[in-house]
Amino acid sequence: MKEVTLLYLLTIDILLCGILFVYVFRRKKWVGIQLGMNISQAMGGVAALLAGIVLILAFPFHFSLITITSAAIGAAAGAAFGLLFDYQTCLAGVTNGFMVGIMAPMLGSVLDMPGQIILFVHGLFLFCFLFIIISIQRS
Amino acid sequence: MRKLLFILLLSSWNGAELYRIYHLLKKKRLLFDDHFTLVICMTISMLTSFLFTMYFILLFPGFYGASLLFGAGVGWNFGKLLRNPAQLNGLYNGAIGGAMGTMLGAVLQNPALCRIPVESAAAMDLSAIPFAASCFYACILLSIRYSLRI
Repeated sequence: MKEVTLLYLLTIDILLCGILFVYVFRRKKWVGIQLGMNISQAMGGVAALLAGIVLILAFPFHFSLITITSAAIGAAAGAAFGLLFDYQTCLAGVTNGFMVGIMAPMLGSVLDMPGQIILFVHGLFLFCFLFIIISIQRS
Repeated sequence: MRKLLFILLLSSWNGAELYRIYHLLKKKRLLFDDHFTLVICMTISMLTSFLFTMYFILLFPGFYGASLLFGAGVGWNFGKLLRNPAQLNGLYNGAIGGAMGTMLGAVLQNPALCRIPVESAAAMDLSAIPFAASCFYACILLSIRYSLRI
C-alpha cells in the first residue's frame, strides 16, 4: 500500500479517537470504575496497535524510533482515557498501552500481506468504538 | 563490550529501584483494598518481568526458556506478596511480560528475524530501546510511590 494512504488512515484513526474521547468526557459521571478501567485499557492497546503497525509499514527504515514513538502514543492514549476517571485507572491504561506499543512494530515488520491485517486491525478498532458507546449508553 | 556494560548499568539501576519499592510494598501491604491491589500487581509484575527478561536475553543470548521461567517467577513473587485476588493476575501478567521481553531481546540481537532491511540494521542501535524503556520504568515506579501517598 502507498504511504499516503496509510497516513490518511492514521489521520482518520486519530480523529475517531478524539471523537470517542469527547463522547466519554461528556458522560464520565455515568461510567463506573470497572467500565472505566476496561475503556482505558482497550483504547490504550488499540491506539498503540494502530500506530505501531501503520507507522512501521509507512516508514520501514526507522525501527527503534518508531518503537519508542508508538509506545509513547499508547501510553499517552491510556493515560488520557484513564485520567477521566481515577489515578489507578490511569496507571493500568499506561502500562497496557506501553506494552502493546512495544510489540506492535515487531508484528508490523514481519507481515507478508499487510493489506489484510490493516483491514483486520481497523475492524477491531471500529468494533471497540461501537462496543464502548453501547456499553456507556447501557450503564 | 561497551553496550553490554551500558545494559549492565541500566539493569543495576532498575534493580535498585525495584528493591526499594518491594520493601515499601511489603511494609504497607495491609493498607490496600482489593481493586488497588489488583492494579498495583498487574502494573508492577508486567513491567518488571518485561524489562528484566529483555536485559537477561541481551546479556546471555540463547537462554529463552530460563528467561520465560524468570518472568513467571517474578509475577508469582509479587502476587504472593500482595495476597488474595492478585496472585493469579500476577502470575498471568508476569508470564505475558516475560514472553514479550524475550521476543524483543531476540529481535534486538538479530534484526534479520523481523526482516528489517539490511541497510538500516547498522543504524538501529542496541541501546536506544532499553534506555527509553528503563526511563519509563523509573517514571512508573515513581507514580506508584505517589499513588501510595494519596
